[in-house]
Amino acid sequence: MALLIEARDLTKKYGAHVALDRANLKIEAGRIVGLIGPNGAGKTTALRAILGLTSYEGQLTVLGREPLRERTSLMQDACFIADVAVLPAWLRVDQAIDFVAAVHPRFRRDRATGFLAKTEITGHRRMRELSKGMKTQVHLALTMAIDAKLFVLDEPTLGLDILARRTFYDALVNDYMDETRTILITTHQVEEVENLLTDLIFIDKGRIVLDSSLEEVATRFVAVAVAADRLDAGRAAKPFYERQILGKSELYFENADREKLAPFGELRTPSVADLFVAKLSGGAA
Amino acid sequence: MNTNLWLIRREFWENRAIWLLPAVFGAMLIVAALFGHVQLPSLTSPNEIHTFGAAFLVAFGLMFYTVMSVYATWYLLDCLYADRKDRSILFWKSLPISDTDTVISKLIVALIVIPVVSFVAADITALLAAFIVSIRLRASIGSTLWQPDVWLQMQVLWIYTVVTAAIWYLPVAGWLMLVSAWAKRAVILWSFLPPLLLYIIERWFLGSNVVGRVISRRLTGLPAVALNTSGGKSWHVDGDSLTLPSSVFHFINPSGFFASPQVWIGAAVGVALILAAIQLRMRRSEI
Repeated sequence: MALLIEARDLTKKYGAHVALDRANLKIEAGRIVGLIGPNGAGKTTALRAILGLTSYEGQLTVLGREPLRERTSLMQDACFIADVAVLPAWLRVDQAIDFVAAVHPRFRRDRATGFLAKTEITGHRRMRELSKGMKTQVHLALTMAIDAKLFVLDEPTLGLDILARRTFYDALVNDYMDETRTILITTHQVEEVENLLTDLIFIDKGRIVLDSSLEEVATRFVAVAVAADRLDAGRAAKPFYERQILGKSELYFENADREKLAPFGELRTPSVADLFVAKLSGGAA
Repeated sequence: MNTNLWLIRREFWENRAIWLLPAVFGAMLIVAALFGHVQLPSLTSPNEIHTFGAAFLVAFGLMFYTVMSVYATWYLLDCLYADRKDRSILFWKSLPISDTDTVISKLIVALIVIPVVSFVAADITALLAAFIVSIRLRASIGSTLWQPDVWLQMQVLWIYTVVTAAIWYLPVAGWLMLVSAWAKRAVILWSFLPPLLLYIIERWFLGSNVVGRVISRRLTGLPAVALNTSGGKSWHVDGDSLTLPSSVFHFINPSGFFASPQVWIGAAVGVALILAAIQLRMRRSEI
């Protein structure tokens, strides 16, 4: 499988602060990858590096290019929405379409106008007059009309109400995604993207703590709800994380033999959100 | 090329003052011509009439050019800063447009487009004002204020000014763009504090004034380098003495300008500053 993004020892320092600490990444074509981490973990820095918006140390190849030096040609094959609020306030919707159509060889104007026709947004409106949800729709219309191989979304639904968020993800999945495209997405709302993703990358304190497909996650991780009387036996099996829930203890195991764990209690595959908390707190303990 | 034209068009969308400012200023002058006190000197010699017509046009050109230069200074300070401040740079950078093209388009707007707009606005306003004043004074418009040959000569002066000023002010524009691409806030402060500090340090510790002289010469020295200010004829109006050459071709001094080392040293410094601004633009996306 062709590698779309490959990072080796990707490092970015802001003065004394290390935002990315020798991060290694491999992203294949045709996947929907969630880059998930707490605030200040380095998610945005990683995306900025991938998109050629910031300098970095280490090796990084995106679509066969060196992002910072070759951003112009990279942006013919990649597009991104870095949070929704970045369309300039003075820009009119029709100007935005005219401009992108003129400068982007892969922009399909009919797709953008077709997408906007389904909304209440008219061409002469300026961005400053639009609500946040409407701005997102404009940005999405502009971006999804581009035949890009890589689509990067950084906290795309930040500040949107639940309706606008749902519209956003529905449009993303229904109108955009196919096997030729790769989507890389960061978000706080893990639950929202959980059913969308094919791959997970957890990042914490600038380091990649998990890089795995969702199928792999299902076989690799297991959570066991253990009753109090069996807790010591369960702990002896070396869980990497433990939490209290409804009077029971839930123990999290990685690469464990499920048959050996079965006697302790009920087994389940942890959700992405559970795994995220477990992996990040467990790693710190 | 197409992309570059759209980038310049984009600047007109964002900075409507490029055409609104001359429109408003022009309207104010028209109102003054309509309702203000107007008077034409009684001139008899063709030479005096000629010179008066030229002075009339130059006055308009100078007014618009001065106003628009102040605006261009602000434009240059703001052009690489505004989209970092409101984070819309993240939208522009998602398009396949190089940072070099972006920076150059803004430089062209400041050094070529804005001056050309100023002179076009000056020409239009001068024509309207000449028409209005002539009607009010029941004079023939062609007699003093609007002489085609003088008008054509002025167009040569405008073009010459645009070209020489673009080269002469390249280091100033480069410095302003560098500040605009670099500063996290207070671009105006950053634009003059470092040179001022350099000036003070030099005066304080070395007692000399090289920095101050270089800067003030750069800011005010264009007429001395680009124009022949001597050798004209003296001419009196209302007790004021004006020295104006009889033809624009005696007034402009292209050979002197293009042979001057300080023109080319300045241009080289300007290019270096602009290259630095492009590098900053590549690396510094957010505040």
